[in-house]
Amino acid sequence: MKSPIEFKLYVITGENYHPGRNMLEVIESALRGGADIVQLRDKISSKRELVEKAKRLKDLTARYGVPLIVNDHPDVALAADADGVHLGQEDMPISVAREILGPKRIVGLSTHRIEQARAAEWEGADYIGVGPVFPTATKPGRQAVTTAYVSQAAADIRIPCVAIGGITENNADEVLKAGARRLCAVSAIVGHDDPEAVCRRLLEKIEAWNSKTPKFEEGLNRTGAPEIRVVINGRNERTQAATLLELAAQYKLESRNIVAELDGEVVPRRLWGETSVRGGCAVEFVHFVGGG
Amino acid sequence: MKTTVQDGWLIGGRKLKSRFFLGTGRFPSPTVFLSALEESGAEVITFAVRRINLDSYEDDGMLQHVAGRKLIFLPNTSGASNADEAVRIARLARAAGLGDWIKVEISADSRTLLPDPIETLRATERLAKEGFTVLPYASDDPMLCRRLEEAGAAAVMPGGAPIGTGLGILNPYHLGLIAEQSRVPIIVDAGLGSAVDAAQAMELGADGILANTPVANAVDPVAMARAMRLAIEAGRLSRLAGRIPKKRYASASSEPEGRLFATEVREATT
Repeated sequence: MKSPIEFKLYVITGENYHPGRNMLEVIESALRGGADIVQLRDKISSKRELVEKAKRLKDLTARYGVPLIVNDHPDVALAADADGVHLGQEDMPISVAREILGPKRIVGLSTHRIEQARAAEWEGADYIGVGPVFPTATKPGRQAVTTAYVSQAAADIRIPCVAIGGITENNADEVLKAGARRLCAVSAIVGHDDPEAVCRRLLEKIEAWNSKTPKFEEGLNRTGAPEIRVVINGRNERTQAATLLELAAQYKLESRNIVAELDGEVVPRRLWGETSVRGGCAVEFVHFVGGG
Repeated sequence: MKTTVQDGWLIGGRKLKSRFFLGTGRFPSPTVFLSALEESGAEVITFAVRRINLDSYEDDGMLQHVAGRKLIFLPNTSGASNADEAVRIARLARAAGLGDWIKVEISADSRTLLPDPIETLRATERLAKEGFTVLPYASDDPMLCRRLEEAGAAAVMPGGAPIGTGLGILNPYHLGLIAEQSRVPIIVDAGLGSAVDAAQAMELGADGILANTPVANAVDPVAMARAMRLAIEAGRLSRLAGRIPKKRYASASSEPEGRLFATEVREATT
């Protein structure tokens, strides 16, 4: 069973920001500093090179127990046994990536406005990028969304949101104040002489804000478990259930003579306990009634 | 062929005695249904697959009422408007663990509820491949019924008239042809109104009938269940007995020889 992904500091590769230094060394420095999720982002290399880089990065991140996400390419992610992919709005739909990667891998999505964030949550993204908060050289030409969108996402979206785009040590507090719980940086980390030290300082800021403000999720839910939106028997419902069995129990159905279907596939009762429900999934609970 | 109403028959390898399939919908109460079931002698009963009412914790399912009885369950795919939906419903029904029989019922028209022949054929083909015992509810079209048989149907269930209309058998000629040509059992399903229609279906050569509304909505459903059972037996026996051919004009059944008041015209003139 897959539990919701949790992280605080997301680092993305950007080899153009550290000419002359080895990418693996730079990322390892960030990992030592506490970066707890890594994305391989490389729009220049060939697929062959990408697979190689991803494999080497995977070896590295695995040693630190940190997930590796591959930008854009589910096939590369699979080839390197990476933990997931990150997609943009113009990339393949989440459902397609999910089909390729299976239910256990992570699928993240860049979003630039709240409608996209809601759609991503609905379609079953594991996390979303919220940004670019500030203008950034990594995404030239894209208008900054400002911290207003960060606040909006923090208030409205249940899956993990990570603020991204032009975030540095200097403006991190501003982003965290707007409601961000997780930060992502590219140039501010990998472009720095000492990525480890930058990561430490960014994490300190994140921790400080996280302890200052109660988590939004906890404000809403007694247990603090993340709440997801699911469609049950054609009805939009919110639930904190992590498995099909928990979901059935929520409606007092667990001991009744019923059959369950998740996203169009029958799930035998003995598997309910190990079948996870994810945001945006469609569940049918049915039984036999009189009929001709 | 034994001229007895107790002759057994087979569907998908299962031996049946009763030729009456009883629907379970629209009965005034579970008790009335159970009494009607008793009187009908039915061994096969049909169900629909529906969403649980999430707001009600009461078990309104049908199964609890028939638990422990030796019956064959024939869930239907009503509510499906295409083959994909029917296949989904069939899989859900099979997951209930009560056997692999499925009545394919695909309606694309809400006014007539007439079965969609193309989608019905598609669903039959797919479900037969998946190992279901498939009984498609179909239009009373001889060619379609043949195609369904070729697609792997264990029995074919042509309708007498649209579901719930009680109009009886609208096209006895077609039903007769279907029964004549078919190598799998033919069960006349839908549209029957009362016992007379059941008898007619059996006389036309059907192997059985499926009825729900004419029993459930009769003034006395229990009595109607018995009437239909007797009619099915009567119709079956009549079919086996072999009916006389129809003639345009009368032919006296009493011997003409020796009748009173006959004028011996020939003798008188000679």
